[in-house]
Amino acid sequence: MGLIKWARTKSPWLLHFNSGGCAGCDIEVVATLNPRFDIERFGMLLKGSPRHSDILVLTGPITFQIKDRLKRIYNQMPEPKFVIAIGSCAISGGVYRGCYNVHEGADEVVPVDVYVPGCPPKPEAMIDGIIKVLRNYKEATP
Amino acid sequence: MSSLFKDYRDIVERLKKEIGSENLVGYEIPRPRRIWFSVRREKLIDAIAYLVGEGFVHLSTITGLEGENGLEVIYHLNKKGLEASLKVEVPVKNPVLPTITPIVPGAILYEREVHELLGVVFSGHPNLSPLILPEDWPEGVYPLRKEWTHEEIKKKLLRRT
Amino acid sequence: MSSIIKIPFGPQHPSFKEPENFMFKVDGEYVVDVTPRIGYAHRGIEKALENRTYIQDLYLVERICGICSHAHTTCYTQAVEEALEVDVPPRAKYIRTIVTELERIHNHYYWLGIVAHEIGFETLFMYTWRDREIVMDLLELLSGNRVQYAMNMIGGVRRDITPEISSEIMKGVTVLGERMEYHKRICSDERTILTRSVNVGVLKTKDAISHCAVGPTLRASNVKRDVRADDPYAAYDEIPFNVVTYDGCDVASRIATRCDEVIESVEIIRYALEHLPTGSIEVIVSRVVPQAEVVSRVEAPRGENIHYLRSNGTDKPTRYKVRAPTLANLTALCKMLIGGYIADIPIVIAGIDPCFCCMDRLIFVDVNNDETWDWKGEKLRRYGIKWYKKQ
Repeated sequence: MGLIKWARTKSPWLLHFNSGGCAGCDIEVVATLNPRFDIERFGMLLKGSPRHSDILVLTGPITFQIKDRLKRIYNQMPEPKFVIAIGSCAISGGVYRGCYNVHEGADEVVPVDVYVPGCPPKPEAMIDGIIKVLRNYKEATP
Repeated sequence: MSSLFKDYRDIVERLKKEIGSENLVGYEIPRPRRIWFSVRREKLIDAIAYLVGEGFVHLSTITGLEGENGLEVIYHLNKKGLEASLKVEVPVKNPVLPTITPIVPGAILYEREVHELLGVVFSGHPNLSPLILPEDWPEGVYPLRKEWTHEEIKKKLLRRT
Repeated sequence: MSSIIKIPFGPQHPSFKEPENFMFKVDGEYVVDVTPRIGYAHRGIEKALENRTYIQDLYLVERICGICSHAHTTCYTQAVEEALEVDVPPRAKYIRTIVTELERIHNHYYWLGIVAHEIGFETLFMYTWRDREIVMDLLELLSGNRVQYAMNMIGGVRRDITPEISSEIMKGVTVLGERMEYHKRICSDERTILTRSVNVGVLKTKDAISHCAVGPTLRASNVKRDVRADDPYAAYDEIPFNVVTYDGCDVASRIATRCDEVIESVEIIRYALEHLPTGSIEVIVSRVVPQAEVVSRVEAPRGENIHYLRSNGTDKPTRYKVRAPTLANLTALCKMLIGGYIADIPIVIAGIDPCFCCMDRLIFVDVNNDETWDWKGEKLRRYGIKWYKKQ
């Protein structure tokens, strides 16, 4: 494994984006920052800009209003980029499935690599999801 | 309890005197801390002004819905825990109501929401632009009206894309 | 040379709840006007509630907001129970009260961390969020989940409090109360926090009342209004507590109000646990709700939460209206921002507690030179910190 790939897998930077959800998953995503779960020990940081991020952590059902913004943000992320869909709403619409203003899953809008189910999933599950993404990237052909 | 309800009935009597008893279509006192009024839309501003003067300064929210006989707009005013809900009926063909923002500035966003979701026009409102629906939402689609079911809305949105 | 520049504060931000869009008009460093544009999290819930049964709606109502989830379900079950004309057993009312207050403690600790993060005080941010884990553990012990507890059902509560759980909660809230006393001392003595919060985001009492603000934002402007005291629900008519008000009308008062509310909540929980009535925790209710019209109000951690229900004798509501507290504070927020500095925008918006930081993408538009450039939320925050260091 080359140096760049090693650096990417050892220190992925995350962009957290809430696409119109109830904020339950979002509290758990930011709870990964606190001393109990501490994602910084994996080299992960929650960044504010898509241009600095490797992984897009997506929560919430994608409302029609926010779909274009999400696409714009996804396009601004540099390659290689990954998307993790957190929570039932990002996977399939969740409780809001059938509502007039939501898509039924994030994969209608952006390609998703890992799905972390739950309502909301625990922070440990989210960290597990991120590790899975990195493992897949590490094992993929360079 | 009866003295409490007597105070409520006094408020109703004073409202009747203020706007005329023919304009107070009905009232109900189901339990402590809740009063319901129904007034004609011509006397809406006077009724609101009177209630605000009586101490009902806090507007909790404005509910819009489609009832049996047309659209209904309910103003929920509050005075120290006592909730007075004022109902006004509006015909579907001419859904116009005067804005109450000169009396209660806090109503500005609630009226926008009712306008957007139900189609009621608040004449005199400073800015009735869309508040919560997407910018490219089709004209004339009022989600809270019964005619716009989920299937109808989805069909209309798909036709547009 | 001054010119009015329009700055749109974009909706994308690494946070939740209403990702709002604000259009600011600034003159140099001063904010002259602000127009909000919300709706990025509009999911069409009110329409969906009309198509589902009352029991299905309970789970949808809970997910209107992840942090105030218990407040929304309490409001909903109260509305449906009033329409059904059933009375919930006293033990269930006390358990609802205990979970409501635990949620309030959770929310205020969380909020204090966010405010500290906005100012740049990362240590306080980490301390409060470490302490917050205590209350999340208690909620998980009590209900089975850290977020979205689903404790309420129509007719009572779902789980009971055993003596073991009760003693764990007592121990936990005692620690939380002591830690909050420490944090409150920091917030009232630490000069860095005081410089960023005293006389910032001022909302005078008469403006707060006329703009119909709610919750701690209103109480920090010296208006003694609290749904728990004015319109008691659950067990609040039997539990003595104080309504906390401060008269500073600024962000510092809002911080102090919320710190004191946590201390009050600890006392309420202690009283409720010591006086927990015996008996059942639920009553069986009919699935069909007779024709009725009900207004239900609770005091969510952010302010007054009001629900309106109209039922028509079937098992689905005709109309269910929800007004969450942040919408009520939005007009007051615009009033607070005007006349302030750009550097204060993050803390003032965080001050009304709209659930984490509110802005991420910020585009500067110079109308004279036709230039645009980007500022991210992180950069804005650092700008605020640097600007204050220069003062």
